[in-house]
Amino acid sequence: MNAPLKADAFGVGAQPIPVADPIIRFEQVGKSYPGRRGQNAVTALSGIDLTVPKGAIVGVIGRSGAGKSTLIRLVNGLERATAGRILIEGEDVTGLTEAGWRARRRQTGMIFQHFNLLSSRTVFDNVALPLEIAGAPKAEIESQVTRLLELVGLADKRERYPAELSGGQKQRVGIARALATEPKVLLCDEATSALDPETTQSILALLRKVNRELGITILLITHEIPVIKEICDRVAVIEDGRIVEEGDVFSVLTRPQHPTTARFVEAVTGVELPAYLADRIRTQARPGDETVLRITFTGENATAPVISRLSSTIGVDVNILAGRIDAIAGRPFGSLLVSVPTQEPELAAVLGALKTLELKAEVIGYVS
Amino acid sequence: MSPEILRLIALATADTLLMVAVAAGIGTLLGLPLGVFLATSKRGELFAAPVVNAVLGTLVNATRSTPFIILVVAIIPFTRLLAGTSIGTNAAIVPLTVAATPFIARLIEGAIREVDQGLVEAARSMGATPLQIVRKVLVPEALPAIALGLTLAIVSLIGFSAMVGAVGGGGLGDLGIRYGYQRFMPDVMAAVVAVLIVLVQAVQSIGDHLARRLNKRLRHA
Repeated sequence: MNAPLKADAFGVGAQPIPVADPIIRFEQVGKSYPGRRGQNAVTALSGIDLTVPKGAIVGVIGRSGAGKSTLIRLVNGLERATAGRILIEGEDVTGLTEAGWRARRRQTGMIFQHFNLLSSRTVFDNVALPLEIAGAPKAEIESQVTRLLELVGLADKRERYPAELSGGQKQRVGIARALATEPKVLLCDEATSALDPETTQSILALLRKVNRELGITILLITHEIPVIKEICDRVAVIEDGRIVEEGDVFSVLTRPQHPTTARFVEAVTGVELPAYLADRIRTQARPGDETVLRITFTGENATAPVISRLSSTIGVDVNILAGRIDAIAGRPFGSLLVSVPTQEPELAAVLGALKTLELKAEVIGYVS
Repeated sequence: MSPEILRLIALATADTLLMVAVAAGIGTLLGLPLGVFLATSKRGELFAAPVVNAVLGTLVNATRSTPFIILVVAIIPFTRLLAGTSIGTNAAIVPLTVAATPFIARLIEGAIREVDQGLVEAARSMGATPLQIVRKVLVPEALPAIALGLTLAIVSLIGFSAMVGAVGGGGLGDLGIRYGYQRFMPDVMAAVVAVLIVLVQAVQSIGDHLARRLNKRLRHA
């Protein structure tokens, strides 16, 4: 096994970041499966410290096999921790019996990548299932299911069977079903991974609505950074069964500390050098070359008219080579590749102006 | 064919239907829980009891590997105990049921094992008890496959019921052997075969139709 990476090596707390009013709290949680027939025990998770604040949307991102599925299943007892302890609403659930877990699970909704709807039941009856299990009276089931189908926008599909629905509609049924018993926490297991990008957006919007309007805390796992970027307040990056980075989404995504995070983040925030330039870029300037700069925008200045200001105040021509501006956790973020004249004093003036605007600029090479 | 023979064929058909219906009925009543248990009691499953599972599995295999005609003879004392006799339609129901139960149990086990494990996990995540998972998820989801399995079992039972004719059971097989074979009446033999073909055909059609009705997976909006 690799040497464990210490979280404090990256300047983020080795102690769990104190977050007000946690609803779920992992303390040094580990999970290993006993070895069988001479094989070694398998460690799925180790030393997990994670806090889910009440009312937040917390995302756990990692590649497949990183342990995120196991982690989310520890919250409703589908998997049991073998080390550390888990507190839910202040209650230590580590030693709970199966019967104790069953009662807990009725206060925790869960949705799945492949929806897991019963093909033999109509939309209405699928949403009714958790209420039937909890022994709710018929009248209550009727009114509750009707209300939830309204909420997810499927009131007109109540007598349909899952086979007659699209993927997005199936996940809406899954969400309605997960909310049937009015849980405080919703667990999302790769809820959008089987959906196309457009449908993903609509499901994420629905999850945000559920979070904001019903005040339900959401813990989700995903391998898609756009999901984190779109709806999460906090993110934990998991690799080889350990959390390697954790924090609020904007800081983690705009200033990733761990290489794994950086790789995930590149896909949404990074700007690649266009192929035609990558071949021609030089590390040493020749006379007449232009300097290629990467400007990174964060926060307020991301929306400032930087380029036109450079042109008008300093009088240099700025050539845009590639760029990308996006929103992360509702705040603008982006990066831009530009080329500017290499000769002084223009270059120094440009760099100075960018510094004044508190934008990060780095010289990445020279082109003719 | 004389009216007398036609009457005999009608009576024998009724006897066959009775034997098959009762054996299939009791066989399902016993085979359903047995099949569900076999499908859910291996290590790490809902009702994990690996030892009991292995014992029952062996018992089921033993019964199923005994040729039916041998089984009929071998359990004659048991048949006498239950039916009071080892000859006739009522007595024939006993070995038919004994053969049908493990067969149906295996078919149901197979149908239940086909149900997506994700559905079991979803039901667990709602706080369902193992029994609720069986009643509300596994059996309803397996129903189309169970319907096809029972159809297969009934068709096999019709064949078995003809075989008990050889050892003094009633029904179409008995008629075919006594009249068609021992009395050299080829028209009776032909009639018996024709009725059996029609019966099997009818059962298969009804079963297929039912399975299609129960299967909500193939519908499209």
